[in-house]
Amino acid sequence: MSLTSSMEIARSNLSVLSERTAVTSRNVANAGLQNATRKLSNTVTAQGGIGVRLASITRASDDALFDNLITSNSSIGRNQVIVDSLDQLNQTINDVEQDFSPAAVVGKLADALQQFSAAPQDEIRAQIAVSSALEAANTLNAATDVVQQTRTRADQQIADSVASLNNLLSQFEEVNRNVIAGTRTGADITDQLDTRDRLLTDISREIGIRTVTRENNDVAIYTDSGVTMFETQPRTVTFDATLAFNATTTGNAVFVDNVQVTGTAAPLPISSGRLKGLTEVRDEITVTYQNQLDEIARGLITVFAESDQSAVPALPDATGLFTYSGSPAVPPAGVVVTGLAGQIRVNPAVDPDQGGDTDLLRDGGINGAAYVYNASGGAGFSDRLIAMADQFYSPRAFDPTAQAGSTTTLVNYASNSVGWLQETRQSANTEFEFRTAIFERSTDSLSKVTGVNLDYEMTVLLELERSYQATSRLIATINNMFDALIVAAG
Amino acid sequence: MLASFTSTRYLNEANRSTVLKLQDQLITAQQELASGRLADVGVSLGGRTSETVSLRQQYARFTTLVETNSTVTTRLDVTQTTLQSFSDTAQEFISTLLASRDTENGPSVSQGDAEANLVALMDGLNSTLSGQYLFGGINTNTQPITNYYATPTPANRQAVIDAFTTAFGTPPSDPANTGITAAAMQTFLDGPFANLFEEPSWSNDWSAASNENLSSRISSFEQIETSTNATEDGYRKLAKAYAMVADLGVEALNKDAFGVVVDAAVKIAGEAIQDIVKVQAKLGTAAARVESANDKMSAQLDIMNTQIENLELVDPFEASTRVTTLLTQLETAYSLTARVQRLTILNYL
Repeated sequence: MSLTSSMEIARSNLSVLSERTAVTSRNVANAGLQNATRKLSNTVTAQGGIGVRLASITRASDDALFDNLITSNSSIGRNQVIVDSLDQLNQTINDVEQDFSPAAVVGKLADALQQFSAAPQDEIRAQIAVSSALEAANTLNAATDVVQQTRTRADQQIADSVASLNNLLSQFEEVNRNVIAGTRTGADITDQLDTRDRLLTDISREIGIRTVTRENNDVAIYTDSGVTMFETQPRTVTFDATLAFNATTTGNAVFVDNVQVTGTAAPLPISSGRLKGLTEVRDEITVTYQNQLDEIARGLITVFAESDQSAVPALPDATGLFTYSGSPAVPPAGVVVTGLAGQIRVNPAVDPDQGGDTDLLRDGGINGAAYVYNASGGAGFSDRLIAMADQFYSPRAFDPTAQAGSTTTLVNYASNSVGWLQETRQSANTEFEFRTAIFERSTDSLSKVTGVNLDYEMTVLLELERSYQATSRLIATINNMFDALIVAAG
Repeated sequence: MLASFTSTRYLNEANRSTVLKLQDQLITAQQELASGRLADVGVSLGGRTSETVSLRQQYARFTTLVETNSTVTTRLDVTQTTLQSFSDTAQEFISTLLASRDTENGPSVSQGDAEANLVALMDGLNSTLSGQYLFGGINTNTQPITNYYATPTPANRQAVIDAFTTAFGTPPSDPANTGITAAAMQTFLDGPFANLFEEPSWSNDWSAASNENLSSRISSFEQIETSTNATEDGYRKLAKAYAMVADLGVEALNKDAFGVVVDAAVKIAGEAIQDIVKVQAKLGTAAARVESANDKMSAQLDIMNTQIENLELVDPFEASTRVTTLLTQLETAYSLTARVQRLTILNYL
């Protein structure tokens, strides 16, 4: 050992100290960033025992916590879109106090009929009944619009989500390539790793994923159902958007690497992420709700249908106050007619605003003389009105696939439909709260472990400062010794 | 690796998210306190929302029924009063006839009284309630009874005159009518005259009413008849009794024939009173059913209202306590945030 080697060691320490200060400074700068991790400098003894050197810069990380984070992120992605869409569907009901849900307007129509039946000669009550019918038809039409707009929006969001996935995957390819190259050369890849984690988080919001880390920090991404999304190269996510939806439209499925991952026909269906949630909204929730609206519409059309009043009835039943595209045929019982709620209209023959005659509602005969119930033509005839009002409260068959009951009264069915939507909203909200809590917990745990603590960095800085002072003193001392040696050597 | 580590961001974030959550809850709690109802009924009740919707619907239905029942009750009340006046008038008519039977001016007194009574009967049968003929059956917008004394002579009066003329060869009030025997008069009253007040003559000449009564739904399970109509026996008999005294020219008849007319009129008016009492009883029963339906529904309305409130309302004390608790929590969170922010090693370096 010589003075020269002592100097060498002190110098190496100075350079390591400045690099470590740089790392601390990076940490302080990143303290407020969500995805930034704490960087650690690893110092080792230099080769041959002469001094120290910075072996590597690594980052604080926790793979298990990170996996939790992306899993709960996918769940929240799915839940969030469901909650949002249900809130949108809730426009059709709003607060029950406001009485404009399909159930409320159906009830109002039944009440208007009762009012009309108490004074069947009263033209004003007749018009109130017809305007209640108009309100019922309009409400069902508007509700259909809301449902189909929700579907259109979900489909558009799927398209957006797919576009952003493809974009994220191509960014991921570049970052992943840098990570592999950096790992091979031993360069500082911590910022690249942070970026890659952020991309994974973003991807997991859109679609449920699993990751596998391989040689040289290479990461492969699979959907939670096992379809390859990224392996060395990104796989394409494809989807054909549909421009506008009506009740009979069926949206397209999402494909990853040419494998269908959404819809009932998917061999490997994904189970979380926004794509999953949006598909559920577009293909299940809205479709069921539309079916319920269609069943309410079918119930209304059937309640007001007229039957042949001849002594020997020969003609088939025909639609009365309410019509639809298939009028005058009455829709078959107990089977949902898709899109009926969007087609239901008040028969112009009864609507005074369209030149109709409200008496036809009281007397029957919208479909011709054979269907006239009021044989004598008396203006006080109330039997038909009472019978129609009663129909609202008599059990009838509904399509069980619409999930709001099978045999019940029309008004009950309409209430059940409200109950179904609110039940779905409630459970979606509860699950969302639960998933949010888990997500926050995961974010917190990860941030707690991998984030920067300013106090800690400050104490590290103090330590570095002390070390720097000592090394400087050392260099000064060695320098003095050299000076003394040179003077002695004269 | 450090045994325990907490990032600065986590330390700040924890407080920040607590504050946000508390504020969110506070908004809901304030809204509930102000309105007294759940902030989001649907999300709070979930599947039970169908219950409150059903209850609201049923509440509206019963309110409507109570409303329409008041229309029915008014109709029944007015009809009852009219029927009572029919029966009172008939009773007085019988007294008048019995008193005037053997007196000198008996025929003229009876004739005048009968005429006035017939006019009153027709007025009663043609009475209306808010534009609706009470005795028209379901023909509520057609005057039920043709005015007997209209000019030109309407079919019902002409038929009486024609029947008399055909039977006796002379029109009513003809001086020659003194020759009509009691037996001939009896035959006429039982035969051709009585027929004028039977179907189809009644509906052809007298009445435009429908024999179908108004039918009303008075509760969720009861549908009852809530009117009478001018084709019923009581009114026809009254019209017959009044018409025979009023328009057969009783002043021109001999005493025996007049006696036959009086006897027949008294008998028929008596029967008419019986018939009207039956109608009154029927309508009285209907009114009682409406009233009992209303009573039941009012009780149910109260119960439903309570049930709706149970479902949708929040306990104001609970809501107010919640607001207070949340405010305290928020204040604590704020002061914690401030203190944590001040807590840094930088202050001590």
